[in-house]
Amino acid sequence: MRTIRKNFRLFWQGTLLSYRALFAWLRPVTYMASKIFMPLAQMFFFVFLGTYASGKDTSDFYVIGNAIQITSISGIFGVTMSVGGDRDAGTLPYLFGTPANRFMIFFGRAFMHVIDGAIGVVIALTWGVLLMGLDLSHTDLPALGLTILITTFSTCGLGLLMGCLSLLTANVMFVNNFVYFSLLIFSGANVQISTLPVWMQIVSSILPLTRGIAASRALAAGASLTDISVLLISEIGIGLTYGFLGYFLFSWFEIQAKRKGTLETV
Amino acid sequence: MNAIEINHLRRIFRAQIGVFNRSIKEVFAVDDISFEVQQGELFGLLGPNGAGKTTTVKMLTTLLIPSLGSARVGGFDVVKQANEVRKRIGFIFGGERGLYWRLSGDDNLRYFASLYGVDPEVSKKRIPYLMEMVGLKGRGNERVGGYSRGMKQRLHVARTLLHDPDILFLDEPTIGLDPVGAREFRNVILDLQSQKKTILLTTHYMFEADALSDRIAIINKGSVIALDTPSGLKKHVSDLSVVEVETFGASEIVIEKLRALPFVDALSVEDRDQKQMILIQTERGAEAVPDVISALEGQRVGRVIVREPTLEDAYVRLVGGGA
Ligand SMILES: Nc1ncnc2c1ncn2[C@@H]1O[C@H](COP(=O)(O)OP(=O)(O)O)[C@@H](O)[C@H]1O
Ligand SMILES: [Mg+2]
Repeated sequence: MRTIRKNFRLFWQGTLLSYRALFAWLRPVTYMASKIFMPLAQMFFFVFLGTYASGKDTSDFYVIGNAIQITSISGIFGVTMSVGGDRDAGTLPYLFGTPANRFMIFFGRAFMHVIDGAIGVVIALTWGVLLMGLDLSHTDLPALGLTILITTFSTCGLGLLMGCLSLLTANVMFVNNFVYFSLLIFSGANVQISTLPVWMQIVSSILPLTRGIAASRALAAGASLTDISVLLISEIGIGLTYGFLGYFLFSWFEIQAKRKGTLETV
Repeated sequence: MNAIEINHLRRIFRAQIGVFNRSIKEVFAVDDISFEVQQGELFGLLGPNGAGKTTTVKMLTTLLIPSLGSARVGGFDVVKQANEVRKRIGFIFGGERGLYWRLSGDDNLRYFASLYGVDPEVSKKRIPYLMEMVGLKGRGNERVGGYSRGMKQRLHVARTLLHDPDILFLDEPTIGLDPVGAREFRNVILDLQSQKKTILLTTHYMFEADALSDRIAIINKGSVIALDTPSGLKKHVSDLSVVEVETFGASEIVIEKLRALPFVDALSVEDRDQKQMILIQTERGAEAVPDVISALEGQRVGRVIVREPTLEDAYVRLVGGGA
């Protein structure tokens, strides 16, 4: 019981403090910009482009797709910074020198970004309703809220894996950008997945977001929670898979660093 | 029970050198070290850069797996029982990194307290106590990024005492500090010593080791070459005197000529701006001075002093002089 309490505390404290400690967009102005205006810009761009190509009535498709995809700002960039930030701060030896439960440290790094990412999606959807004619009046909003949380969670799972890569190499920003922009397409945010070549459809199916976006579109069109439950359960499964892959990589990294002496100290 | 027991510890690093003609270079960073540190002892590990001090400390703090040999800290094996060791030790690697600069001093301590599983009720009292102890009282709300180097290094001390460890590893803790900061830091170490903590201190500052340590191991090229109390080490050179000669722009050739003189036991050179200080250890004391001066024929020579040897001279003799 004591251990459980201790680990819960570690998770919670680690969550809040590491979020503030390691997340680079801490200045309120940059944070607000990334939360409020960046989604707006992305949505305007793709909605304009998309409706130009495929007609006015397809606007909702792009609005929802991009609003949900926005979560990967937190899920990919944010989580990567939170996991990889210890490398830059030089705190890895001090972190790995503690007896703390590594599982709690690792997943604690992502938790705030799930909330943060979900807030980002809500803001983006609000822009959609206010400025881009998105109609959510027939939507089961609690179900949509759940879908947003689950999608954000699974995207953070991928972020955790990416964050581990950033412990291994310094140039992960490039990879992050690549993943972020790939998700714009592969997740189906801006294209009908069924129109993609088969290999791309396969990639789509093993990425987070894809099912979350599909579920959100279905909800906006009036579907019920039961209609999308398979999508949501699969989305959770994908998030867990990436998260655990990340955790195994994290554990492997610690062991490897101690074997090879690559855990920098100064 | 000894606080630290080191048994034929070795660490070999394999570094790949050359891009095309790939060959593996083996560095014997720690090469068969054995010693014990008693409970409550302040043990100094003294040696030049690259001697293997940090590598030794990393192995003892569970951050690096030894290649061969074993070590027990607080009675636990550093590899097989790493987590038990971690609960009982604190450690600092010199320098100001390793803290979360965006967080306040207090928040850094809160985070590490949770990593060490310190009860919040306990850490609520302990954090202000430690901040006061390391001289950071009233600064806990400020972001660490704004701290001076000395403040950051003292915050590291507070960080490593959160879980009240019995055994502390301080790897060059005063490195990069100005003289005042270093003195304040040494006072903190003395404070810890009076609390009966076992401390392994590495340093390459002679006087620091001399002033603080109960015993000192001198380590060079991965091996312990002497282990004794500070006064015991000085006995190694008690038969010697040191002739200090100030010169201006003496060349390598001249210095080699001095080194070759039959009565010169060890010789080292310290460069100071325009001038050099040549330190010669010799059994002949003041009688050596005329021969030294004549060997420096044609050079500009400043002050010449003959004095008793210090720990530094013992060290120079053991490590083998060199410029
Ligand atoms: N991670 C590493 N990889 C390769 N060589 C290393 C590594 N760490 C230390 N060394 C080498 O091991 C030797 C001892 O280093 P170190 O223990 O840091 O010395 P000290 O702390 O006494 O200055 C040096 O030659 C150093 O270059
Ligand atoms: Mg060192």
